[in-house]
Parts: sequence; structure tokens; C-alpha cells
Amino acid sequence: MLAGNIEYYQPSTVNEAVEQFFILKKENKLPMYYAGGTEILTLGRLNIIHPGAIIDIKAIKETLSHESYQEHFIFGASLPLTYIEEKNIFPLLTQTSMEIADHTARNKITIGGNVCGNIFYREAVLPFLLCDSTVVVAGKEGQKTHPIQDIFNKTFQFEEGQFLIQLLIEKKYLTLPFITIKKRQQWETGYPLITVACIKIENQLRFAFSGLCPFPFRSQKVETELNNTLLPKEERINHAIEQLPTPVLNDVEGSKEYRLFVLRNTLKEMIVEMEEKE
Amino acid sequence: MYIIGKGITRKDAFEKVTGQAKYTADFETNEMLHARLVISPYAHALIKNIDMSEAEKIPGVRAVITGQNLPLTGEELQDRPPIATDRVRYQGEVISIVVADNPYLAEQGAQAVNVQYEPLPVVNSPSEALKPDAPLLHPKLGEYKKIQGVYPEPGTNIATRTKIRKGNWEKGCAESEVIVEEHFAFRPSDHAAMETRCSFAQIHPNGMIEISSSSQAPFMIKRLIGQYFGISTGKIRVNTPLVGGAYGGKASTQLEILAYIATKEVNGRLVKILNTREEDMLTSPGHIGLEARVKLGSTKEGLLKVAELTYLWDGGAYSDKSIDLSRAGAVDCTGPYHIENIWCDSLCMYTNHPYAAPFRGFSHSEVHFAFERTMDVLAQKLNIDPLELRNKNAILPGHTTPTQVLLNSSTVGNLPKCISKLKELINWQEGQIKDLGNHRVRAKGISCIWKTSTIDPNATSAVILIFNPDGSINLISGVIEIGTATKTILAQMLAERLKMDVNDIHVQMEVDTLSTPEHWKTVASRGTYMAGRAVLAAAEDIIRQLKNIASFILRAREDDLEVGYGKVYVRDDPKTSILIKDIAYGYTFPNGNTIGSQIIGRGNFVIRGMTYLDKETGAGRPGPEWTVGAEGVEIELDLRTYTYKVLKAVAVIDIGKVFNEKTAIGQVKGAMSMGLSFAARETFWFDDHGSVLNPQLRTYRPIRFGEHPKYVVAFVETPEIDAPYGGRGVGEHGLIGMPAALANSLSTALSVNVNYLPLIPELLWKIKRGEK
Repeated sequence: MLAGNIEYYQPSTVNEAVEQFFILKKENKLPMYYAGGTEILTLGRLNIIHPGAIIDIKAIKETLSHESYQEHFIFGASLPLTYIEEKNIFPLLTQTSMEIADHTARNKITIGGNVCGNIFYREAVLPFLLCDSTVVVAGKEGQKTHPIQDIFNKTFQFEEGQFLIQLLIEKKYLTLPFITIKKRQQWETGYPLITVACIKIENQLRFAFSGLCPFPFRSQKVETELNNTLLPKEERINHAIEQLPTPVLNDVEGSKEYRLFVLRNTLKEMIVEMEEKE
Repeated sequence: MYIIGKGITRKDAFEKVTGQAKYTADFETNEMLHARLVISPYAHALIKNIDMSEAEKIPGVRAVITGQNLPLTGEELQDRPPIATDRVRYQGEVISIVVADNPYLAEQGAQAVNVQYEPLPVVNSPSEALKPDAPLLHPKLGEYKKIQGVYPEPGTNIATRTKIRKGNWEKGCAESEVIVEEHFAFRPSDHAAMETRCSFAQIHPNGMIEISSSSQAPFMIKRLIGQYFGISTGKIRVNTPLVGGAYGGKASTQLEILAYIATKEVNGRLVKILNTREEDMLTSPGHIGLEARVKLGSTKEGLLKVAELTYLWDGGAYSDKSIDLSRAGAVDCTGPYHIENIWCDSLCMYTNHPYAAPFRGFSHSEVHFAFERTMDVLAQKLNIDPLELRNKNAILPGHTTPTQVLLNSSTVGNLPKCISKLKELINWQEGQIKDLGNHRVRAKGISCIWKTSTIDPNATSAVILIFNPDGSINLISGVIEIGTATKTILAQMLAERLKMDVNDIHVQMEVDTLSTPEHWKTVASRGTYMAGRAVLAAAEDIIRQLKNIASFILRAREDDLEVGYGKVYVRDDPKTSILIKDIAYGYTFPNGNTIGSQIIGRGNFVIRGMTYLDKETGAGRPGPEWTVGAEGVEIELDLRTYTYKVLKAVAVIDIGKVFNEKTAIGQVKGAMSMGLSFAARETFWFDDHGSVLNPQLRTYRPIRFGEHPKYVVAFVETPEIDAPYGGRGVGEHGLIGMPAALANSLSTALSVNVNYLPLIPELLWKIKRGEK
């Protein structure tokens, strides 16, 4: 239950949504874009966020596309995670997504909502970070596309009033060898201690991480060390750990030291497996 | 047996599976007001100021209530203000209640109450609480009202101390050739029942106070509110619909008091309070924590000679039920073994943690975790098979318990039989540990269990049976249907006694204290025992009345008559009979003359011979019988990552008599899963300021579908002669051995002593690195 008096809007076009945002902003209504709603409800009832108006983008048809377009495949921001999993166009995304929350929640959680979330895991972004994807964003100046590495740094670096419409991925990435591993405090439910996703392209491994730091990331420096096949695996991993961004998380899910222990084991497991894959 | 032992469908099944069943929060009326709580974000602080002016300005807010002029509350020791006034002692403590026209306005009002605090140093564990320089949480401890058997120690944080002094400690030590001592600890946690607690209350124009609540103890609510506020109990009426999981957490009285205070402030209008999940975890009482020291001495052959035990219970900010919990932990302070010399101090400590309610097993899984782990340590030191060590020391008829109760073949179940069945079911002879290669091992761990139910010595249960014109019977008992199917079992018992169709017995599921006879509390696995005896007494009452009226019509002596199959018949000529339905409302002669009228059966029961415990030695008879069992788990562990899976969990319980096989197995499996969840992952994580970091199901995660092992449940049947059809309590026992068994399996797999909970891989990693 959110106790505030919250206004609700459901525009049917991208432009309408952006216009509505700025009208509400002018009225000091603290507007927020809304898709699945799980996080707005979660954080709203804890009084961490206080939206005065929400703009539901689920009726905008571009945000629901799930189709090929020339060399790309398009994932609309409002698609529920379970929808994407059932269609299974992009197995790396499917497998990463299936570890998020639970099935009932994923019927509501959208791909756009997860990658843009305040809760810092944003695990569904990992496959897109690995695959040089393209991001379509709506804002005051209309729609723009950006390579993900230009606009994602810990979070999407959106300007005020911008929202995610689509994520595009080149088709060649859809079928690459991959592994995605989520390790938790215990068993099969809960937030990640760490989630690591990995693909192999042109004999090079790429890695993206969630739960290790208070943001998801992909790091060239880490990848360079891990791909340095002249060194034994343990040493590569040690060098890679020296290149990690800071801070490494130290919280109720696990201590910093334990996370690094789990990371070492996980990376070793992944490298062994990936170096065998063609 | 006619129907006892058969798997019949639960009487509440159809309501529940179709979603029609109503729980407290499901009741809504138009005129109902709604309350929200303002709770403390601090674990320990002075309240400097409460500014209610903004909240009072909100249209639709009817009252903003603070805690002045309210009596102190608490079930055994009255130390808890229902609403804090000058000081808060735990995070989540109630500061104010806001009553408004709807839940949204109440929440807005609660957010608008502005409280200024001055944080105080916190007591963050029971051992910290014991330190001489620890902050004193209750400086007025010596002044609080209390009941018999409570021994607070003013000037300390000790709410009560229970002492067990059995035998001769020095002699036990002298006879011990081998001694082990281990230390244990785990933090408080939660019940995480699916239904969060809810109460609503109103005061009728005639002064009658009516409260509805998701509770295991409606009759206790009536008594306690009467006692706290000086109201005669007859003027308080409590309703309890179906309850959506309780596990002991709903045996405490808290929200009901707040609902009563709220309705009083709005001229008796109906006010509802529904806990959010966070409040249910923080504000309302949870699962107690423990720090323990267990020292055992034995001969080289493994005969236990002495046990020396210190239990420091983390009772939280207020003592409410934790006094009783710490006492129950002393009553069965050892595992189910014959030990002549026992020395135990069980201390209920105040800390700045959320306070405690009973938790399924009532201190037994907690004590057994410590004791049964130490048994494994001893077995290892003696180089004796851990199951054999337990078998050698198993408690038997003729032995005495820690409180010096002499047991006989009825008052204690058959532990050796349970052990031998467990041995077979867990395939013990193949070995306790198996190397699977590739850094993986399989390991088994075991624990024996026992439990008596420490209940008030004068706790009663009563039942009323009312006939319908069709000869069917309405069964009315104060037992709450918390999911255990007890009311179905009661119907089975009645059907068995009257040899009638169980479908002709209609069970009243809800309890209304105005018309339902009392069942003390639906706790302690005592529903079938106490209410069962009351049902049988009421059945005798009915039989007597039926025979009385039938003897005129059948022209036979009463003692030549039998009741069964819907008839009263002459024993040696069953054809001479009359249908019960023709006499259940009296009998009408052809000319219209009528004798008798609607038959009403009544029966009640109180457990014989219960006593308080002696203050100095603990001697006394706290419960009627001891259920025993043997439990085990098998795990598979990765030695590099410390991750593991529970493959199989086994429980063998001496249940006395199986009444309804499916519901009995369901109870045991459910309890086992709860035990594994508590052992392997459930805990509150506290920061240095005593705040709970995970008061939500996102971060407090009970075991879930897909994470369960294979459960194996088996029963031994050693009847208890006082119990209806010989049955023993079984609602809790599956849980009791799980934490110890799991910790024993992990200790075996890793060759270290794992003495902390929860058993997450990070803990195992730390212990293996020598950090804990």
C-alpha cells in the first residue's frame, strides 16, 4: 500500500509520455515512469521514494516490441521478464533473467524496469553490457540511440524526463557460447552474492558482474587480465581482482572477503568451462 | 479401530482449497476505522518529544494515541508498556497509534507524527547483557508485578533464572573420565507465518468489548486484557476465525491490546490493526535467540555422568513469554538421556532486540542444537559411533528427567526403537561420510529429541456437543484451527467413540469466547490430548443421556444398551433398537406426549498432577508426558565452495497412536522444513546499533519450494495411557532435531565444530579458516 495521493497516467505514445512528464514536473508532482511497478511499490511503502504521479509506459507499443529488425533483435522495455524467458530468443538473457526474484514477480518485472532499477543489482543488464547493445531512449529532444557503453555507467545516465524504450542487440550475439552464474548466501532464492555472466567472442572472454559492487559493471581491465592465457588461471584471477572497481560489497548477503572468495571460485569454474567451449 | 488411524479429509479442506476461508484481515465493514502504528527506528533511545500536530490536522484522522496512563503488560512479569512513553527498548517498538477513516489516511497520519529521540547505548546480545557494566534496560525490575515462579534479579538484565540441580555435581565430575565443553550462539529470528497478525476491536453500547484476532489464545486475550485494564472477563468477547499459520507467534497477546486502546479512544467504534510484514517481524514478538555453554562428562565407555549447562536466552526488550521459554529450556535442558547429575542455569536476558514469542518446539530445537552437537563432540572424543552413544544413554522408563520426574512406560516413548528405525531409514551402516571425488562429500548427521509441554498446571479444555434433528452432532471446542487439523482429529475421536459417520459430525472452526467453551491455548501440541479427553468425556455424557431415554422406549436396563451406528440398541438383541435421530430431541409418543428434549453433551479436562518447579532445584512435574524421537539429515557438500544441499531428512517420532496418517505426516514434514529453514538460513542480522537489517521477506528468506530435501517420516506407537486412544503430541517434534542434525552433518563433512546458526556457506568458510 502506498499512502500518498498518487496520480496515474497511461499515455499511448512516446511523445505523450515525455510531455506528460514535463507537465507534471512543472506542477511539482514528482513524476516517475512506471512499468511493472514492483520496485516502486517496494521502495514506496518503505518511504524511500515518494512519487506524486506515475506515468505507465506499458501502453506504448514500441516498449512492447519483441522482433527482428535488420541486423538486430529488439527487446521493448515493457516486456515482462517471463515473456522474454518463454520466447527464449537470447538464451544468455533468459538464463540470467530466470535467476531474478521469483516467477510470480517476474510476471510483473519488466526488462526496462530491472535494468533501470534503484535496487542496485539490475542483473538483466549484464547480457546487454556483454553484447555491445544499443539503447533507444526517449526524451525532450525525441528518440535517441546510444551504444550501451556510452550511456551505462553503474546506472543508465539518463537526463531528466528520459526513459528507456528499447534495447537492441546484434543477432550475431544471440547464439554465442556463454555461461551465467548466480551465487547466493544460501540455496536458490535471494539476491546475488555475486552474479557473473560471460560470453566468448573471437576467442576472447567477456565478463559482466552484479552483486560484487553496489552496481553492475563490465570492465576492460578485468577482461584483459582474465584473457591473459600466458598465465595460470589463479594468477589471472588474482590480477583481475586487483582491477575491480570499488567498493566491493560488504553487507547482510555476505562479507567483502567472502564475496571475493566466491568470486575466485566462480571465475575459475567459468574459465575452465568457457575455454573448452567453441 | 473404526476410524482412528484412517486418512480422512480435513474438515476445513474445501474452504481452504477454494479460497473461501476467511481470516481475520478478510473481515471489512463500512463503518470500520483503521489504525496504523508509529514505530521506533532505534533499538534503544529516549523519547524526547512526540509532535502529533501535523497528523491531527489531516482530515479523516480520528485519533493520535500515545502511551500515557496505560498499565504495564506482560504475561508473567508486567514490564512492557503497550505504547512506549519515555524510552524505547527495541527497534519497532510502538510509539503511537493513529486511527483514521481508511488505511491510507491512517498511514499518512502515522508518517506525519514527528518523534525526537536521543539514542542510548545498546545491549546487542545476551552475553553483553550479563556484563556488570551493561546498560540496565529495566531499572525498575524489582517493582514489576509478577506471577508465581518468576525470579527477576533487580540491578541486572536478568528477567528470571531457572535452576536445575539434580543429583550430585561433584560426584558426576569425579566419575567422568572424559569431558567436553562447547559454546553455541544464534540470534533471534522470526516465525514468518503467511498471515501477518491482525486484530479489530469495538466497545458495544452495553459496555461489551468485542475483539477479533488472528490468535492461538483467545481465552488468554480475554483474561489478560481483563487483568491489565481491570475489566471483568465476562465483559470481553474474543472471536478467532481461521488462522493462517501461527507457530507459537500468535500465542502472545499484543495487537489485541493496541486494538482495545484504539477503540477506547474513538468512543468504542470498530478499529482494525493489520500488521505490515515489517511490523509483524519487528514490532510483534518473534523467535528467541540463545547463547549456550554445554559441558558433558562421561566414562570411557560413554556413559553420561554429568551435564553442566548455561543457557543465556535473548529474550529481547520485554520478558512476556521468554520467561516461560527459558524455563522450558531448563525443564528439558539435556537431550533425551539418563543423566544422574545435572546442573543448569537458564537465564532469560533482556537485550535491545525484538522480544520473543513461543516458537514451534518451545525452546527445544534451540537447546537440542547445543546439547546434541555436544553429544557428537563427545562421541568423537570417545571414538564411539554417535548413534550408539545416544542409544547407550537413552532415557527409559524408571529414569528421571532433569526436573526429577520418575518416568514410566506411559509417560515416556520408546527412544531405542526410534533410534533403530532411524538407523535403517538413513542407511547408517553404509557410514557417516562418503567421498564422492571431485571435492564432493556426502555426510549424515543425527539428533535425538524429546519434549514435554510445560503448560499452566490449571490449564483446562472443555467441549460441547449439540445434536441436530437429523441425529448429526455439532462439535464445539475452543481449539483454534491453526492449520494442524486438530479439529478434524477431534471429530474422528467422537466418531470412533459413537461409531458414527464422521461426516455427521459438524465442527465449528471459528472460536467465539461468548459461546465456545475454553481451551486454554492452542499451543504445546496439546490440542488432541486435552480437547480429545474433553470430547471423550462429552461423548460419555451423550451416551448416558441417550441410554437413559432409550431405556424407557426399549424397555431395557441402561446398562444393557449400546450406542453406535446411529442407534441405541440392546446388546444381546441389536434388532431391538431406536434411531438416535428419533430421541436426540426427545421422544414423542403416538398420542403426542413427549419426554426429553435436545441432548447436549459436555466434557472437560485438566491434566492431573502438574506442579510448579522448585526455585532452588527445579524439581517438579511440568508436563504430562515426553514424546521422543530420532532424526537425521544427509547432505552433499562441495569442499571448495562450502555450498551444500540437504538431500534427505528423516524423522522417527514415537507418536503414541497415529490418528490421521496424512495429517500426522504433514505436521512432521512441515515442522522438519521449518527446522531446516531456521537452521540453514533464517536469522535477523543486527547492526552495531541493534537494528535489524533484514525485516522483510526480500532479505529474510524462509525455505522455499524447490529447496526442500526428500522428507522421510516414520512413527513408533507406544501409547500414553492417559491420552485419548494413546496419542502423544506431534505438532512440533519434527522441528526439534533438525538444527542439530544438520550442524552435525556439516561438522562431520568438514571435520570442524559448527556451533553457530544459520548454517550458511559463509559461516562454514569462516569456521574452516579459524575465524569463528
